[in-house]
This record gives sequence, C-alpha cells and structure tokens, in this order.
Amino acid sequence: MRSTANRAGPRPLLTSDVAAPADALSRLAAHGDQQFEVFFERLETVELLPQGAPNRLRVRKEQGLGVRRIENGRSRLAAADTISGPAFAACCDRVAGTARSIGTAPPRIRTGSWPALRLAELQRAESRLARAVNRRRVGFPMEITARRHRRQVQVIRSPIAAPPQFEEYFSLQVTTPWSVWGGLLPSLADEDLDPVALCLVDRLRSRGLPLHRRAPGVIVLGPNAAAVLLHEVVAHALEADTLGLSGVPDHVVGLKLGGPELDVVDDPRSAPLACKRSSDDEGTAVISRWLLRRGRVRQPLADLAWAERCPSMIPGAARRASRHRLPGPRTTHLELLPGTIPERDLFAEAVGGLYIGEFDRGNLDPLDGRCVLRAPCGRRIGASGPVDHTGPIEIRSRAVDLLAAVTAVADRPLAGGAGWCAKDGALMPVWARCPSIRLEGLQVAD
Amino acid sequence: MKSARLPGLRSLRLALGAVRERTGATGAELYVKVGNTRRIEIDPWMATVTADPDDLQTQVSVLDERGWALRAGGASRALFLADSGPLPEPNGWRRLNRHSLRPGILRLPAARSGTAQSPATDTGEHSPDEEEAAGLAFLHDLLRRLGERIPEARLVRGRLDSGASAAVLASTTGVTARSGRRLATVELDFAASRDGRHGHCRLYRAASNLHLLRADSIASEIAERLRLATAAAPPFLPAGEVAVSPALGCNLLALLAPLLRGRDGWRRLQQLGAGHPLGPPQLQIVDDGGLDAGWMSAAFDDEGVPTRAVALVRDGEPGEPLLSWEDDGWSGFSAAGCRRRSGWRALPELCHSHLYIAGAPEPAESIRSGIVHGCYLLDRAHDGRCHATFEPSTNGGAGQLEEGRFEVDAIGLVIRRGTVLGEAPRVRLTGSLRQLLQGIRAIGDDLRFLPAPGAVGAPTLLLTGLQVEAVG
Repeated sequence: MRSTANRAGPRPLLTSDVAAPADALSRLAAHGDQQFEVFFERLETVELLPQGAPNRLRVRKEQGLGVRRIENGRSRLAAADTISGPAFAACCDRVAGTARSIGTAPPRIRTGSWPALRLAELQRAESRLARAVNRRRVGFPMEITARRHRRQVQVIRSPIAAPPQFEEYFSLQVTTPWSVWGGLLPSLADEDLDPVALCLVDRLRSRGLPLHRRAPGVIVLGPNAAAVLLHEVVAHALEADTLGLSGVPDHVVGLKLGGPELDVVDDPRSAPLACKRSSDDEGTAVISRWLLRRGRVRQPLADLAWAERCPSMIPGAARRASRHRLPGPRTTHLELLPGTIPERDLFAEAVGGLYIGEFDRGNLDPLDGRCVLRAPCGRRIGASGPVDHTGPIEIRSRAVDLLAAVTAVADRPLAGGAGWCAKDGALMPVWARCPSIRLEGLQVAD
Repeated sequence: MKSARLPGLRSLRLALGAVRERTGATGAELYVKVGNTRRIEIDPWMATVTADPDDLQTQVSVLDERGWALRAGGASRALFLADSGPLPEPNGWRRLNRHSLRPGILRLPAARSGTAQSPATDTGEHSPDEEEAAGLAFLHDLLRRLGERIPEARLVRGRLDSGASAAVLASTTGVTARSGRRLATVELDFAASRDGRHGHCRLYRAASNLHLLRADSIASEIAERLRLATAAAPPFLPAGEVAVSPALGCNLLALLAPLLRGRDGWRRLQQLGAGHPLGPPQLQIVDDGGLDAGWMSAAFDDEGVPTRAVALVRDGEPGEPLLSWEDDGWSGFSAAGCRRRSGWRALPELCHSHLYIAGAPEPAESIRSGIVHGCYLLDRAHDGRCHATFEPSTNGGAGQLEEGRFEVDAIGLVIRRGTVLGEAPRVRLTGSLRQLLQGIRAIGDDLRFLPAPGAVGAPTLLLTGLQVEAVG
C-alpha cells in the first residue's frame, strides 16, 4: 500500500527576494579572507502519543536564522529565534562587531506558511503496525508514539543563494512489555512499517534470554545492522573533526581500512524521497563522496572550515543540528555498494555462526578507535539460514578490526538502519542503504 | 541588540482568553521563555596546553532564544503547541479552532495560597565584548595553569557557555509565576600520554556566574585526573574501605535518582530498606528547588507550584517522597514544586533540582587519612561504565546487571594508613544499591554540587562492603 502522505512541500521558506539579504551580506566583508553566510531554518514536529497520555497531541514549530562570519578557520555566529529583517540586521551587527553594519534599513524578509496540520497518517500508524505484526501470526500490547518531522533550510552565502532544502520524515517509538524500539522511517506506509514489525517480533521471541556470551566464528549482519556498523566505523571515523583529534585529517587518504569488497559512499542526493539534499547546511552543493573505495580511504567528510584547513578535502558534508549550533562534517546517507554473493550463499558459509538483524546502540571512541555495538537479540545460523533466537549481544572491538573482519558483501542492498546520530549531543537524522555482510574472526564481549 | 523582553502577565491573560474563546478549552496555560547564551568552543585540533592562545581555533556564538508553549484542553480533549518567537497578539490565534483540540487530557495545578509572583529577574544582558573577553581569558588562564602542572596534556575539546534566561507563566486556574536564572558551564576534554600510556579526562563544571568558575582549581582537578588516568595499574587492590570524593559521590547519588522521585521511586526505596534503616543515622538526602545560592534555585517550579526542601532520606530512614502536585496527598505526603521544563519546547516533567547528601561535621581530610587499607576514588572514568538496575530486565537492560545492583568505573589511589601506595587508573566499583547506602560509614563536611540533569551534590563518603576490582 502506498503512503498517503501529501508529498507536496510547503511554500518556500522565504517568500521575499533572497537577493536582498545576499546584497546585505556582501557589504559586510572587510577583506577577502572573510566570508559571511546566513542560515534560515524552520522546523515542525508533530507528535502523537499513545492513547491515554496527557497532552497526547504535541505540535512544536520554530523558525529562526543564524549569521556566521568565517575567517581563517574561525567562526563567529549570531542566532535569533525569529526570521525578520531587523533580526537579520542585528545578527549581522553582532558578527561584524559594528552597529548598522548593513546600512540603516534592514532588508525585507518574509516567510511562507506551512500547509495545514495533517494527523491522519500519524493516527493510522498504530493500526498499520499492529496489522504488520499480526501478519506474522503474533500479537502483543504496544504503545506507539509517532512523530512527523519537517525541516526547511535556506542558506545564502554571499553572494550566492543555495537552493532551498526541504526534508520530511517520521520517527516511531514502540514500547512493548519487554523492550523499547525507536527509529526513523521515510514514511508510515506498509512497506516501511513491515521491517519494524519484523524487529518487534524478533525481540518478542528473544525476550528473557540471557546475554549471548559465546564468541561465534562468523557473524552475518543484516542490512540494518550493517548500516549501524558502517555509520560508526566508517562515517564517524572519517569525519574531519574526528580525524583532527589524532592527527592531520587528510593524511588518512589512501589508508587501507578493509578488504576490496568495501565500497562505501555518502550521497545525500540518493537519500529517501523526502529527505534528499542537493546542498548541505552551508549552502555547498553535495557530492557523491567515496569514503572507502575498494577498502581504501578516498575522501573524508568535510565542511568549509575543515576544507580551508586541509586543502585536499572537499566541502559539502556540513550539517547543523540547529541554527544555534555551528556546522560540522557529518554523514547524511551512507551506502555500501552491493557485492556479488547472493544472500543465500552468505548464510550457507556461516552455518554455526550468528545473525544480527539490528543494533540498537553504537558508539565509537574517537581517541582510541574502540567501537561498541549492542544488539538486542540475534539468531543462530543453521543450514536453512537464521534459526533459534539468542539474547542480547555486545560487540567490542577496534574500528579497524571490525572492517578487516568483513569478508563478504551480499548482492541485494536495502534501505535501513536509519536513526538519530547523537555525536556531541547534536541529534541529526541519518539514512543508509546496505546489503547484508559477513564478518569472521570477531570476539563477542563478555 | 538587546535581549527580548518577557511579555507582561496582562498579555498572557489576554492570550489565554483568546485561546479559550477560539478552542472552547476549559483550561489553558501559557509559558514564555527568553534567554541569551554566549558560547566559546575550541575546535578539536588537539591543542597543546602550552600553545600560544592566538593559535587556538576558537569559535564564538552569541545566541538569542525566545519561545512559548501553550497547553489547552480539558477532561477529554487537549493540545500542546510550542513555537519560537514572540507570543502572538490576542488576534494572532486565528489558526486555532475547536478542532485543534484532540483526544487527550489536560490537568493544570490550581492556584494556592502563597502562589505569588516572584520578582522578575532580568536576563542579565552584559556587554557581549566583556563577557566574551572574560570567557576567553578564563580558558587561556586554565590552559596556562594546566601547562604548568602537566605540559604533555592536550586539549581535545572545550566549550564554555555563559547565559541567562527568564520565564513567565500564567494559567486559567490563576497560577502565575516569574523566574530568572544565570548559569555558566564549562565542558573540557583532555588527553595525555605518559610512558606510553594514554589517558583521557572529561570535566563538566557549573557556576551561577562565569566569574565564579576558578581556572586554577579546575586546572588542578584536570592535572590530578590525567596523572591517574595515565598511571600504571597497581599490582593489587585492597578490598577494604573505599572513600569516594564529592565528584564520584555525585555520580553515585545520580545513579540513585530514580529511587528518589515519584510514587514508584518511593515504593522502591522502601523495598530497598526491607524494614531496616537505609543508611547510618547521619545520612540525609534532600531535594531542594529553592536552595539558597543554588544554580537552579527558584521559588516556583515550571508549573508555578512553590518549591521547598524535601527530606527524601531523614536520619538514615525514608523521609518523604518527591511528589508533584498531581500526587498531592498520596499516602499522606505533601507535594512540592518539582516539575521542570528542559526548554520552552518541552512539557514539564518531574525531576530533581538540587539533589544532595547533606554534609556531616566530620572533616573530609580525616576520612581520607583514616583509611587503614583501601582506595580513595576520585572520579568516574569518563569512558567507563556507570549504571544501576532497579528492576529485572527482560531483554538485557542497561548493561545486563542483576536487579538492585550498580557498577561504576573510576580512577583513584590505593591508600594504607593514610599513605598513598599507588595509583589506580581504572577500577570498577560494584555492589548492591542497598549496600551502597547501608555501607556508608562516614560523611564528610565538603559538600559540593556538580551539574547533572539539575544539580547533584555530595560530600566525601567512606563506604564499606562494596567490591573493587581492576579493569583493563
């Protein structure tokens, strides 16, 4: 069943001419080393809690702007919670350090309106998910919190205005008597809810089982779990600010991190339909960025500031949690290119091993490269594929060891593993598309 | 640019009237908050502490925040709506109508005697240049002092926030309140290598004013922690007494927080005692939203309910639970103002404000020097474990701990008869929550608060009956 979501975007964030703030910014630069940009942002989150919850419907809207001066790798940001000419002029004064920095008359800045509140899709999420669970011949109590997130961004970096960006996606939190599942979805249509139902049923069948302590020789990660692993050990590890903690970021280019089967790309343009980006949160056009090409580092994730410091880096991966935060290099949509091995064969050579369908938590220590991944459950691999369920599994390993352990990549990539990245406390949605992968020779922590 | 001003109560009442008229809600509440923050961040370039201050990649942000939240509804229909910017004029609520309320419940506290307006606090607009210069000077001073103590230390990341906020609240039940707050926080992450051993240290400190943050004492704390984190592991660990510093005591108390709030917490706390005292007679655990000179101190909580000191554990026995106004009178206990909002976007939730173990007259120094054979644990290891389990987990839970137990990874010293025998770069302190409280043998006089969610305070504590083992 197709989504009933109205994919028509809202009216443009700015209905006034973007040339006016662009002109104003161009008057600010005192010399050629200074760059000025303005970031306009509008967010809406509609949240529907389980029945019986107080204030079950929660609507949060906000808009504002941030003006930033970049000079020799240093930034100065001034942000306000309104979008208007006077607020823009005041922020310009703060970053320029002078009064009336853009002249006596602030530019005219007007915003468009959001479409009407639509709740039907959120209200139907509970029954659709229950049906998807019931199709697997089980049923159990669930409390569902469904949220729709919308974000509009317009960046003007003097003198160019980047195309306006619009993202719409959903998040679900499902509480059952034995666990809490949370994740992001591009829509609340049946095809996106079905994998959620599969995770919930796996958790039902593994409830109460003890921590899996036996270290298997082989682990097969499903697309969701593979996406989380790659997010931690490839995307985070190759963000310029993470690399800057232990050396000069562009020195890693060419470094071998894994086998030739690992081709990893970050491409915000191929994110799910309503989350595609053509420019990043600094207004730079995004690119299809090879993070790993045949297992070697090709192009780390960088924003303008890091590209200025490390000339071989290409900007276009800047993301901001909000107008109140400075941008930083982050992944948006991670893809592991498919291999040549059919998924059936991936399991055939992993009999006796462990299948992990999802990780619910992952963490990379940026200083020593240690990674911890936690799966709420797993399944033993038998001759016919995944069979008996197991309890939670925790994998502790160095990032390079995890990548070196990847010995096979399946041939069928699936969208999955989307979630909130919480690096440095800044929540950002991340998307992925991965096939299943097989790892050999890893230790499962006690 | 001047910071935004809060609207007057009259504006809020007019807006509430407009909302009720348009939606038909029987009750409504408006909360408006404004704030400003100056943030200085030092980029993760692993700057050496001896670097020239001009070489530090500092990023400065000047942030103005302004927003409001509306709760409207009644017994069967309700709405929560939050938006940034100024509060709409009375005729600016045209998009609301009777269909805006959806199935749900709205409950609001009633006005009580004693609910009066607190004096308005301004948002503390200081000259941006002065505040920024003071912040930069503080960070440079801290790095210089740390460089004198431990030159091999490298700054991984630093962030200094200094700001002020003010809020006003009004509801159709007659509750009105104003509050204001100033806060400065510093988050520092350092690394060092000595003799081939690598160590990290993360510090988060707060004060009600940037000028109250002391660069010298923070530099001392960092140097002490880096030395311990890069020390060689001791050949053995004594299993006797464990003295914990106020910093680690705060972390242990924060672990116990779920036992110390609400009806569920009260039931668990009573079960923990199982008919016996929870701790020694000198043990007092208090939550006080109006604590004098506290960072979070306010006469009213974020729903306009008066705050007060609640003795959660009194003389080693369960005292009274921390209850919100909705549970007033439950089991004969009175409510206290204890529902706070994490920002204008958030609904009020029951939480602690100043949760602390009250200090006792015993000098902290005598506790440390009185250790016969044991450990003095200084702080938690920032990348180690720190959790507790309060109920059986059906699917792993937090760290797969057995019910009613805790574990914390810490750094510290091995001590025998007051003499330091060696350093412990990482030890794991584990035990039952019951033993954690009942094993308290002495409480020091050096109560200190650290920022957690809210403020958590503890003095030096002497603990017995817990397990200590070396990790890694």
